[in-house]
Amino acid sequence: MLKAKNTLGIVFFPAFDWAISPTHPERQERLLYTQDQLREEGVFDIPGITELKPDLATAADVARTHFCFPDVASVTTTSHMISAGGAMRAARTVLDKEAKKAFALVRPPGHHAMKVVHGARGFCNINIEAVMVEWLRETYGPLRVAIVDTDCHHGDGTQDVYWNDPDTLFISLHQDGRTLYPGTGYPYEMGGPGALGKTVNIPLPPGTSDEGFLFAVREVVLPLLAEFKPDLVINSAGQDNHFSDPITDMAFSAQGYARLTELLGADIAVLEGGYAIQGALPYVNLGLVLSMAGLDYSHVREPNFDPEAIRQPAKVTAYIEEVCRDILALTRNPKPPKGETAHGWFSRRKTLYYDTDAITEYQTESVRLCDHCRGVVKYETESTRNPLCLGVEAPIGACEKCVEEAYRIYEAGQIKGEYRHLQLIDRVGKHYASYTG
Amino acid sequence: MLCGIDVGGTHTDAVLIGPEGIVACAKLRTNHDDLLASVREALSSIVAVAGPRAITRLNLSTTLSTNAIIEGTADPVGMLVSGGPGIDPEAYRLGDHYFVLPGAIDHRGRETAPLDMAAVDAAVAACRAAGLSVHAAVTKFSTRHPEQELALRDRLAGASEFVSLGHSFSGRLGFGRRIATAYCNSAVWRLYNRFCDAVEQSVAELGLSPDIINVLKADGGTMPLGVSRGLPVQSILSGPAASVMGIIAVCDIAEDSVILDIGGTTTDIAVFAAGAPLVENEGIAIAGRPTLVRALRTRSIGVGGDSAITVDREAVRVGPRRLGPPMALGGPAPTLVDALNIQNVIALGDPRASFRGLAAAGEAVGMEPDEVADAAIISAVNHIRSEVAAFVREINDRPVYTIFELLEGRRVAPSRVYVMGGPALALSGLLQDAFSEKVVVPESFAVANAIGAALARPTFSVELFADTAAGRLTIPSLGLSRAVADNYSPAAAEGEAASKLREYLESLGADLTETPVETVELSSFPMVEGQTQVGHNIRVACQVRPGVLAAYKKAVSQSC
Repeated sequence: MLKAKNTLGIVFFPAFDWAISPTHPERQERLLYTQDQLREEGVFDIPGITELKPDLATAADVARTHFCFPDVASVTTTSHMISAGGAMRAARTVLDKEAKKAFALVRPPGHHAMKVVHGARGFCNINIEAVMVEWLRETYGPLRVAIVDTDCHHGDGTQDVYWNDPDTLFISLHQDGRTLYPGTGYPYEMGGPGALGKTVNIPLPPGTSDEGFLFAVREVVLPLLAEFKPDLVINSAGQDNHFSDPITDMAFSAQGYARLTELLGADIAVLEGGYAIQGALPYVNLGLVLSMAGLDYSHVREPNFDPEAIRQPAKVTAYIEEVCRDILALTRNPKPPKGETAHGWFSRRKTLYYDTDAITEYQTESVRLCDHCRGVVKYETESTRNPLCLGVEAPIGACEKCVEEAYRIYEAGQIKGEYRHLQLIDRVGKHYASYTG
Repeated sequence: MLCGIDVGGTHTDAVLIGPEGIVACAKLRTNHDDLLASVREALSSIVAVAGPRAITRLNLSTTLSTNAIIEGTADPVGMLVSGGPGIDPEAYRLGDHYFVLPGAIDHRGRETAPLDMAAVDAAVAACRAAGLSVHAAVTKFSTRHPEQELALRDRLAGASEFVSLGHSFSGRLGFGRRIATAYCNSAVWRLYNRFCDAVEQSVAELGLSPDIINVLKADGGTMPLGVSRGLPVQSILSGPAASVMGIIAVCDIAEDSVILDIGGTTTDIAVFAAGAPLVENEGIAIAGRPTLVRALRTRSIGVGGDSAITVDREAVRVGPRRLGPPMALGGPAPTLVDALNIQNVIALGDPRASFRGLAAAGEAVGMEPDEVADAAIISAVNHIRSEVAAFVREINDRPVYTIFELLEGRRVAPSRVYVMGGPALALSGLLQDAFSEKVVVPESFAVANAIGAALARPTFSVELFADTAAGRLTIPSLGLSRAVADNYSPAAAEGEAASKLREYLESLGADLTETPVETVELSSFPMVEGQTQVGHNIRVACQVRPGVLAAYKKAVSQSC
């Protein structure tokens, strides 16, 4: 009889009554066959593996993490709140020691949702990992967290949320942005001035197979994790690197995913993308579950799987080795981010496109260069949906001066009257305010 | 009139119920070496009072299959298993004749690798060489595509007296459960059929000519004896189910409630939602192995009247072990009943023996006998209360898969606790102190389980699975499979599942007015290939919920 070596909690929430549209890749059918496979395999009958019901995230949970304009309700549906709540339930399971590890198999995904939200990008409205992590920090106190994003698409949203946070190491492995949405995630994107080197991007060439992924994990990810010494490792477990995925060009297998999961040893995994719903997701998810639980996954393979047919060419191998070497060297000697420094503030301008909702956003992010803390962060943003808005955050551990500055900016913004919506996140005083001018 | 016989671990109970109420009843000690003798004796007692013609229907529960499986006295089974990709089928190995065969079916019921017939023939030959006469064939996703199991059965023809096919037990998924279910079914097949033969013979010898003989199932429903011959595994663990059905028969339970059956060794907990018992759809575990045998959702805890009391510096504990009868009846260790005995809650056997036992237990830690007794009773009551709370919480915490269910999910909130079993009355006051819900002890429970057995109605469930892209529909538990058009709708599927279930019930001789069919699951998923919708994946589950025959319920209902 099987018995999990690592106790594992699985939050399975397929949202069987929600979809962007009937034929959209992010639809109900996505987790249907995974559910069938897990049930048929008897995964939930294995002692040590428990199926958990998701929590429901609240607007306050979202407002702690994001600046949603005009408000949380306008950019989310109940599905998003359950999906984020599912991630929170998974995390709660691990932090309360109900299980050693947890996997949130939920939809919709979240890793393209940035700090500021005007709508949906890449099927994501709110960043479910970030909502989960900030809820953890609010509930359990300060945590050093490493998020390793293994989705095929660059985790640009998660990168943006944690750009200025030195206590969060964000590593994204993805198909090279020159060949895939969202077109970002280059090695030179390394974090804001106060968190330089805490963002790490590993772009991989199309055609990368098990060999290349596992090489990058061994050579880059694991050494960086060992140096960072996180309290918690989170895997943004996107499954669209699969050789059969219809919207990407990679050659990863279910065996490869299971092995990667084993190497990474994440405490919490949260499902992100993955759209090969029949040929990949059932097997990849099963492999992940068995791997996390410390069980034998050697018999998990796609029907008619032929590793030779998808093996990466030698030149891809050589290229990956070079990229990984360069990235490691770069993290030891990081380059400062692009932007301007003026009056003790560092600013960068971003133009963002929300492909799912067809919104364009123009944003200026400014962080105060403070010697005592991470520094107050300010977002001035306007989009084709909202006029100019302001978001101000006094981050966790902000010094007294920075907290004061956050309130000053928020109040001055209200008096000046140039912003339509204003939001304040004060993580020190746990105060979250909004104002519509 | 309806006769019910419940062959239990300690007693065999029998009742005969007519339109006016209980006509005859009997209670005798179960003869474990010869269960048939117990059945025959119980029947004889009823016949002695009412005469042989009185019995028009006989419902029977028996521990025969359960005992054989747990004690390992069942037959060896030749297991032919095909897994395909996933968990290694070796993880579900059962018995000494387990053959894993190449072949694979995927989640949509598509054959992705054919069975290796040479390997099948080698396995069949090995079974023959080992002298096996019963077999089971189980393939992964056979409920979506039974053909590989059917092919295995064909290959076993002539080499086997009986073959259990995995897909015939349930349309639910669960490869490991299917293996355990089919294995157990074949293992007890011979033993169980001999018992059936003997029951039919005894019935004839006693001059009885009931219209039908039914066997109780773990979900509290019945199936005809003839049907049970091919599905003996469905008769397992029907004992606790009979008790729950007894409560339903004798009490009018309309609201959410908890049933506590406090026995000698364990306390069984069942939960009712709006008066109906909750069913464990996934299936019950036998000898530690989960199966696809549907059962009432119950939880058993190691606290009963005969549970031993242990005392240490931290606490006074009751159970989970039973070392023998209470000291008042000559047992070796003080029990919960001994504690109740010296606190004058009950009067049993020799109270001085109870006192001596509790005094000795408390001496080491400097506790007086009555302090030990008080602490033990409180500990037992608190243990039961906390387990009930955990059970209800678990029920309300069950996973959901739609936003609607998550937001609208009905929570079970029991307002009453019905207590039955030996120490029920003695503990009722203390239980009332511990529970905020109203504690009710119904008047008489001497033969409630036999009443439950007598009045239980047939249950059955079907799962229909249709894939309009593949143009295929299956109802595994009825062995149905047919082609469907691409415009087949969820409504048509629901209608078809319900009517096939009704047809089946009618073929069993069930009265359809007494066996309402309900839909418990109805979902339809658009299937997309590229950007085009190619069909629908439709799933329907219909069932007859366990219940008692309304016409007779009035006759046996008591105020409670």
